[in-house]
Amino acid sequence: MSIKIALAGNPNCGKTTLFNALTGSNQFVGNWPGVTVEKKEGKLKGHKDVTIMDLPGIYSLSPYTLEEVVARNYLINEKPDAIINIVDGTNIERNLYLSTQILELGIPVIMAVNMMDIVEKSGDKIYVDKLSKKIGCEVVEISALKGTGIQKAAEKAVALAQKNKTSIPVHEFTKDAEDIIERVEDKLVGVVPDAQRRFFAIKLLEKDDKIQDQMNTSVDVSKEIAEMEEKFDDDTESIITNERYTYISSIIGECLKKDRKEKLTTSDKIDKIVTNRWLALPIFAAVMWLVYFVSVTTVGDIATGWANDGVFGDGWHLFGIGTASYTEVADEYTDAETIVNGFLDYESEQGVDVESVQTALDSEADDYDPAAAKAALTEFATTISDADTATYSVVDEETMADEEVTSTGADFQEAVATMDKYDYTAPDPADYGVWIPGIPVLVENVLDKVGCAEWLRGLILDGIVAGLGAVLGFVPQILILFIFLAFLEGCGYMARVAFIMDRVFRKFGLSGKSFIPMLIGSGCGVPGIMASRTIENERDRRMTIMTTTFIPCGAKLPFIAMVAGAIFGGASWVAPSAYFLGIAAIICSGIILKKTKMFAGDPAPFVMELPAYHMPTIGSVLRSMWERGWSFIKKAGTIILVSTIAVWFTTYFGVMDGKFQMLSEDQIDYSILATIGKAICWIFIPQGWGNWQATVASVTGLVAKENIVGTLGILYGGGDASVYATMGAAFTAVSGYSFLAFNLLCAPCFAAMGAIKREMNNTKWFWTAVGYQCGFAYLVSLVVNQIGGLFTGAGFSIWTIVAIAVIVAFIYLLARPYKESQTLNVSVKTSRAK
Amino acid sequence: MGTVVVGIIVAGVVALAVRSMVRDKKNGKSIQCGGDCKNCGGHCH
Repeated sequence: MSIKIALAGNPNCGKTTLFNALTGSNQFVGNWPGVTVEKKEGKLKGHKDVTIMDLPGIYSLSPYTLEEVVARNYLINEKPDAIINIVDGTNIERNLYLSTQILELGIPVIMAVNMMDIVEKSGDKIYVDKLSKKIGCEVVEISALKGTGIQKAAEKAVALAQKNKTSIPVHEFTKDAEDIIERVEDKLVGVVPDAQRRFFAIKLLEKDDKIQDQMNTSVDVSKEIAEMEEKFDDDTESIITNERYTYISSIIGECLKKDRKEKLTTSDKIDKIVTNRWLALPIFAAVMWLVYFVSVTTVGDIATGWANDGVFGDGWHLFGIGTASYTEVADEYTDAETIVNGFLDYESEQGVDVESVQTALDSEADDYDPAAAKAALTEFATTISDADTATYSVVDEETMADEEVTSTGADFQEAVATMDKYDYTAPDPADYGVWIPGIPVLVENVLDKVGCAEWLRGLILDGIVAGLGAVLGFVPQILILFIFLAFLEGCGYMARVAFIMDRVFRKFGLSGKSFIPMLIGSGCGVPGIMASRTIENERDRRMTIMTTTFIPCGAKLPFIAMVAGAIFGGASWVAPSAYFLGIAAIICSGIILKKTKMFAGDPAPFVMELPAYHMPTIGSVLRSMWERGWSFIKKAGTIILVSTIAVWFTTYFGVMDGKFQMLSEDQIDYSILATIGKAICWIFIPQGWGNWQATVASVTGLVAKENIVGTLGILYGGGDASVYATMGAAFTAVSGYSFLAFNLLCAPCFAAMGAIKREMNNTKWFWTAVGYQCGFAYLVSLVVNQIGGLFTGAGFSIWTIVAIAVIVAFIYLLARPYKESQTLNVSVKTSRAK
Repeated sequence: MGTVVVGIIVAGVVALAVRSMVRDKKNGKSIQCGGDCKNCGGHCH
């Protein structure tokens, strides 16, 4: 016999934690409301015939929010065989309000008092036996997080379901109220199941307009409503609410013994600082700065450097064994080579024919012969005396900047001796310590051995390996970021952030509820957009959907890290600034949009419980990190893989000399991608990055944001210099930040756009959202480049005037009075008498 | 011969990737979001 057990309780009382513990599932657990918007089901561990249903957190069975509608409809229509009513033991009085409603549903109920570990720690005592008698159902103590008591609760629920013994509510209201309820119950005989008559009677008295839809026959209770309102001098909904709380107050004294010491808990003490009016925002800024600083710049940078240069580069020394000794000799040889090549360049500029020597020393050439190099250089060295000098330019490999260097003949002779010492062959890192070759090297060796065709080598090495490597190289940074986010969510800090942001958001007409989708959106924009469903006000919901993806999601992190590393030399401020740019964009958009007729209106009230701070378990943090990270890796194996092949094909094929053919690295300006990019890149000239490479990278980013990195990896990875060096040379600091700002703020990936379309449920609103995001991103990046250019000496142009005009308009839109909120708009139709 | 073998392997890997994407799409999952339905809540389908 199959059994269905529903988990019902207040938001944030631990339903999903219990669900995961009972089913072995890994549903996302968050300590803010709205994490579970729809019901989820799983099988009870060890009981294949028992289905557990995780319902959204609700405060009542009144249909005020989407979650309440989802939960209530399920409980009434699907009628589970039993309900486990999870009650937060630290807030038992308020949680019992829902319990009194659940018990009226005519379904077997077992109450699981959760967070008993915290209750005991605080010195409080819950008398479950007394509570069980007073509430009318079995009560068990559990700690879903620690896993204590949950098996007992599940077994009791299964037994209860098998007995099919309906829980009968024992709570009673005042006699006058009960009399009226009883009369309505009598009217419902044969209309609704007997066990549910009390629930339906109360809902009808509460004037719940949706409850009539659940009934086959319409029942008129207006007389009873009028009588009740007259007797109690209040509206029926308030009367019933009051009756419930009166009953709860009457029993709570016997069931709960509070520790009378009025001392502040550790959580209260932390909150006194963390949610302090003046300190809250600076602390939040510092925390997020630290998160991004560590994830992207310090630990993350070291880990990603290893992944990019080692795993997806030439290779790495295991545990760094041999790195120091190799670096020493490699630097020595490179310095010697630089001096020798510098002298040769200088002599060549002076008209001396050194071409044969330069050819012999070209170690990149396929036919490079160290013996020939030695012979050629030894002969040339006889023409250089110690007193000679040569001035030449050296290109810095990291920054691609030219530097004038002067060396003497003595330096040259010493450099020749050094090269001679190494037999005219650069030191091989594999000769030092324990060397593990990188994936591209291994793949290249295999392809060489099997004699693979050049085009297929190109596809695999320059397309798939370069593109995927560029993306996967950022996995360590992503994982470190996700560890931090999982910790901040798990310990309860992120719930405080929503509370802190409520103060800020309320100033421009949004509530903290709008910040929750943004918190979730820092992992992925799609669930972030979906989380906007918890916002009841349609206008606020639309505005939240439009602005949620301004927060950098996990997929944008590799791009942020790439820009920080390639263009800003790994500056620590770039990554945190991307996060704060997102928040600033949301706040400014909120202020501007709220002043328009489309979004005007007062913010909805924001009620949220702040859970006590607690140390999340290592397992839950690591699981959250891995699951989010795995989604990133899985994406690389599907959509990013296909995209890199498409990007490689369109990069290395094109029409040249009137013929469609495969192109070499120095011919990619004729490629299909270049042709497309050149046709549209003029749009971004005012932004300072009107080159086709950056343009097509932005376009491919619409498929998935990781594609920006993958595309730039392919487009800038073809030459002798590193991807970072080539990319660094293609952008100035100002145009680089403009490029970053545009791609952070413009329309999100297709998946998130699809989510926007579904949630807006309106084509006009969808295009309004995408158009607003792209327009906003375009203007912000224009201002960044044009105004930034004024400070870096880029000069004044017509676009600078446009940027100043944008800033003036922006300030006006931010500062203009909020007229709509004070104006009552009424549509009046007039008709003329004929 | 080497080219043919490597070509078949690459085509196989791409076919698997495409098949996985088609399967996800048929199951109502988004192919761009990584299909991390457990964490997301799977609200999109």
